[in-house]
Amino acid sequence: MAIRHLTRRAFALSTAAVATMPRFARAEDTIKIGVVVPSTGPAAEAGKFGINGMRQALEMVNEKGVLGRKLELVTEDDQTTNPGAVLAFSRLSGRADITAFIGPIRSTQVHAISPDVLKAAKPMMFGGTDPTLTQEGNKWLFRCRPNDSYSAKVIAEFGTGDLKKQKWAVVFSTDAFGSNGSKALEAALKDKGITPVLMQGYTNQASDYTAVVLAVRQSGADIVGSYFTFESDLGIFARQLRQLGVTVPWVGSPSIVNTTALNLAGRALFGTYGVADYAVDATPASKAFAERYQALYKAIPDNQSSWTFDAVNLLARGINDAGSTEPEAIRAALAAIRGYAGAEGEYNFDDKGDGLRGYNVVKNENGKIVFDRRIEFKA
Amino acid sequence: MSLIPQLLFTGLGIGAIYALVALGFVLLIRAASVVNFAQGEFSMLGAYAMVILSGALGIPYLIALPIAVVLMAGFGVLFAGATYWPLRHRGQMPVIISTIGASIFLANTVLALYGPSPEVLPGLFDTPGFEVGGVFMDSQYLAIMVTATVMVALQFLIFEKTLLGKKLQATSQDKEMASLLGIPVALMILITFAYSAALGGLAGILVAPVLFVSVGMGAIISLKAFAANIIGGFGNIPGAILGGLSLGVVETFGAAYISVPYKDALAFGLLLLFLLVRPQGLFGEKIAEKA
Repeated sequence: MAIRHLTRRAFALSTAAVATMPRFARAEDTIKIGVVVPSTGPAAEAGKFGINGMRQALEMVNEKGVLGRKLELVTEDDQTTNPGAVLAFSRLSGRADITAFIGPIRSTQVHAISPDVLKAAKPMMFGGTDPTLTQEGNKWLFRCRPNDSYSAKVIAEFGTGDLKKQKWAVVFSTDAFGSNGSKALEAALKDKGITPVLMQGYTNQASDYTAVVLAVRQSGADIVGSYFTFESDLGIFARQLRQLGVTVPWVGSPSIVNTTALNLAGRALFGTYGVADYAVDATPASKAFAERYQALYKAIPDNQSSWTFDAVNLLARGINDAGSTEPEAIRAALAAIRGYAGAEGEYNFDDKGDGLRGYNVVKNENGKIVFDRRIEFKA
Repeated sequence: MSLIPQLLFTGLGIGAIYALVALGFVLLIRAASVVNFAQGEFSMLGAYAMVILSGALGIPYLIALPIAVVLMAGFGVLFAGATYWPLRHRGQMPVIISTIGASIFLANTVLALYGPSPEVLPGLFDTPGFEVGGVFMDSQYLAIMVTATVMVALQFLIFEKTLLGKKLQATSQDKEMASLLGIPVALMILITFAYSAALGGLAGILVAPVLFVSVGMGAIISLKAFAANIIGGFGNIPGAILGGLSLGVVETFGAAYISVPYKDALAFGLLLLFLLVRPQGLFGEKIAEKA
């Protein structure tokens, strides 16, 4: 028994020593950021672009350091599903050494993990654009893209003003992002006295869009506005739209100008318009981000990487401003950020956690995304 | 452009995709009593083989196509050795679980080796299609319909009119008896796996220009193909074809006239209806009847 007691005591002491020593002994201890990102599933390619953006930011941030330490990313695969996102976040939130989080770009997944973020009580930067995400009282959420109340206003403004179209067909994914985006577009059009001739939802990962295209054609619409979640869906729809003879102007949410969509749809997207939260030529900061991204990855960046680039930079700034890794201090420091020039635009966080209010109008000219102009809104 | 003929063409095109993948299911159910949940991954691997052969290596499409199909047949033999052979004496369930595991393994292996980027694979024809009487005929859907028709005829002939087909059926119904009659059971099962994988690969290559090539492409269609099998009658060749086609037509018309977001619910509602009213499917379960 004596030996067993001694062994237990020795074990307990050694465990405590191992657990506490590194914090004091290792000056190179990193500040860890937990990242929920799709490495598998239909958004896996977009997830890779997101990680590219984070790594690019990490390279910059770690040159100077954060509180004299380096930032480190700890990634978990969300499998492009809500259960996958919940599981990934629970793995990360279970680790005491993680200071803050970067969440998904897909609103439906942010909705799924939002209650757990509240319980974890640590800041999470995210990219989902469903306006309601920041309106549910979760003070730990910070959005690094403009929400869809702004994208909808820009789509409506550009379509009715510049293109002078009145008969709208709105095509949208029935997930949280698409549904709320379409509602915002319907509201923005209503403000201009227009009722869409068609509000047409579809489920993600459908293999055929003939019925949707025929509904657009039957409606007599002279313009299409869209909120597509997955680029592969957008690619199939675009091709069928053109094949079935619908040639009216099309103004889409940001996925219409994403690298994956451009690769998959090719010519079917030529001549379309997009409201993009990221455009290379929008600001000096977005241009500088693109130049470095191209040097690192030999590819043109899209919004999948621009917002994650900003998220890492904003967290680094928040932690530095807070002067500690204490979650409440970081949250307060993030909320106080004003006039930060990110790749996505100028960040001014409001009391809900929305940092951006501007969208860029771009046109697909034979596969090249050409910047038209940036439209900023006041908070 | 008329609405109903257009929907009918598209429904039959989509249905032919389900039918083609369902044919692969039927083969293994009939000859080896195996429900292969990795059938969708056979399609995905076939499409990726074509991307490598035709895209990366620059082999002309019509030469790359048979090479990819033969490669898939070889893969089918390997697949049988890994998932079926070690568990063949332990009943159906362990083999089914093994194919589910293999499905996850294959999808993630391709993801690790090839990355997550979806690929565009050109179709058999340069033209996307043509219009006949106000109906746009997608050339790839036409290719799928013709291939499905040829394959069902071929498969029917093999199973019903050749000695090899009889041996395969005998192997499926009673392996011990087949063995006593001098049928090389192991070889029959390997042939079935090879043919099923080749067929799955061919389906994937034909479907790729419509759905793009991605790790998840098999999962999108294999569930519907499985449902087509049940609707048609488990293990029945004409049943798989008719089940696939009716599923495609029902979901396309349902999407147009009832609800686009609920089109999958309509398709699986049809499946539930069959399970409740006619669980043996349109053509019944031939293996069970014979047994």
